[in-house]
Amino acid sequence: MRLPAESQTNAPYVPVKARRLGLGFWLPMGWITLIVGVALLAPVLPLKDPTDYFIRSGERPPYPPSADHWFGTDQDARDMFSRIISGARVSLAVGFMSIAISFAVGGTLGMVAGLVRGWFDRLTSFLFLVLLSFPGLVLVILIIALIDRSVLTISVTLAVAGIAPVGRLARAATLSFAEREFVTAARTLGARNSRILFRELLPNVVIPMGALVLLGVAAAIVAEGGLAFLGLSLEKGVTWGKLIRNGAGTRVLRDSPWVAFGPITVMFLTIASLNYIGDYLRDFFNVREAGLER
Amino acid sequence: MRFWGLRVGMLIALLLAVSMLTFGAMNLLGDPLFNILGPIAGDTENPENIAKIQAAEEQYYLDRPLPERYVRWLGDFVTGDFGVRFSASGQPPVSEVIKERLPRTLALAGMGMAFTLAIGIPWGVWSGSRSETARDRLSTGVAFGFVAIPNFALAVVLYYVVGIRLNWLPFRFDAGAPFWQRMHQLVLPALTLALTGSAVYQRLLRTDMITTLQEDFILMARAKGLSRRHILLRHALRPSLFSVVTLFGINAGAIFGGALIVELVFGIPGVGSLFVESIFREDFPVVLALVMILTAGFVVMNFAVDILYSVIDPRVRQ
Repeated sequence: MRLPAESQTNAPYVPVKARRLGLGFWLPMGWITLIVGVALLAPVLPLKDPTDYFIRSGERPPYPPSADHWFGTDQDARDMFSRIISGARVSLAVGFMSIAISFAVGGTLGMVAGLVRGWFDRLTSFLFLVLLSFPGLVLVILIIALIDRSVLTISVTLAVAGIAPVGRLARAATLSFAEREFVTAARTLGARNSRILFRELLPNVVIPMGALVLLGVAAAIVAEGGLAFLGLSLEKGVTWGKLIRNGAGTRVLRDSPWVAFGPITVMFLTIASLNYIGDYLRDFFNVREAGLER
Repeated sequence: MRFWGLRVGMLIALLLAVSMLTFGAMNLLGDPLFNILGPIAGDTENPENIAKIQAAEEQYYLDRPLPERYVRWLGDFVTGDFGVRFSASGQPPVSEVIKERLPRTLALAGMGMAFTLAIGIPWGVWSGSRSETARDRLSTGVAFGFVAIPNFALAVVLYYVVGIRLNWLPFRFDAGAPFWQRMHQLVLPALTLALTGSAVYQRLLRTDMITTLQEDFILMARAKGLSRRHILLRHALRPSLFSVVTLFGINAGAIFGGALIVELVFGIPGVGSLFVESIFREDFPVVLALVMILTAGFVVMNFAVDILYSVIDPRVRQ
């Protein structure tokens, strides 16, 4: 039998790693750069119109992948390749926007709560607890039931679900730094809370939290896809989730799997890359050390 | 005892806060009268319609102030009367609708959780005891993939590969089929939920295992000549129980959320589709009841996890 070698002490084994970013980082990074670049440049790239119908006489769509349509076409003979790119624009926008809002609101609340303590801290902590006691999806569905569904409102809704986790992390990180000497020193020199918050704490909290941004973007993109499956995503426009749903009917899936599998592949690669880079950065910056795990 | 009293009080306060928020939002942002009666709700001239409006207002207590309606609703809700639907007839009552749909979602989620544990724990132990071999690296890579693939995408992939192409498992749900057949039809959807969850267990248990297997008591157990299986399952797994229980609590929420979506892919008429239908018809009593049931289930589940903690490790109670 083979068990790992025993260590002399009970301290957990910490590998000494060179602090350099390897291929495991650059490969997923390349994919993200590619997909974001293509999404941004879509209007100027020579792509087929994603809303155009490329009907061929004598043949019924969906058409399989070919030199003309790299990812095939959907049931209405629309080009899947350009539809996936146009979906990337919306999906990525929703992902980045919602996490930006989560961080702005949750991060601010958490940091202020961690710094000023007292009743404000207790109130925000209870607010976070209430938000966290909804199952995430239920909270999102509940808000969406009451509003019109545009890119902005969907992003804001998904952001609400992210406020509590982000806020708790920000609060924990702030707490661990608020006791440190440099903050005490600043306070002794007569700095006000606002100065301590922005000049002393923010730079320290931002770095470990930043590693979590990419994980948050991935989570938001997946959440949007889930909403699309429930039929609760955007009223207009395409997203990856809507494209997958469009190809998920039994007949379409059996006769023309490429309609669903094109967007599934692109979405999977993107989410996997975001997760991988996120994990990598978290280890790289050693987020645990910064007190986020409290 | 005081610890538990505090915890239960907190739990009830939390559920009350959630119910007030939901109830308030539904009533302030929606227009209940319009949802019940349709376009005639705004009519102020036709006496027939005005009579209808008054009757509806009385029946649904819409003429009372919001706090009173909330208290009435709450009193009914805790006694199991979820009210009537927002429709001209109000039939069937909300509790009947939910009684029909909820068991399917519960069965799916329960089966999903069982599969998650059944796959995730052995997988994690297996991976951790073979750390840094080629097989471990492969299985960790697979686990990473399962974590990264969204549940609805995995559902579509399994639906196509296992269901349509290989035809190993049934992939359509037939609500009229006999019990065991229906359970059989739930296997593939439950597996979809379980693969993602079990990959999370694998990642956590593997790391735990690698640390635990370096401890002195493992060396001791080996020196006593215990079998590998005995060491792994009886000695090495036990310290990880804490993290498994934590994960179970976190994962339960994810499984329920996932069940709502996976249901739709496999055409299971459960809570997920009911939720969506009610939202589109603005049938808020149903939405409200579902939100409360799911949230209560989620909160109680987490509470159960806290209890389990203190059973495993009494120090938590302080």
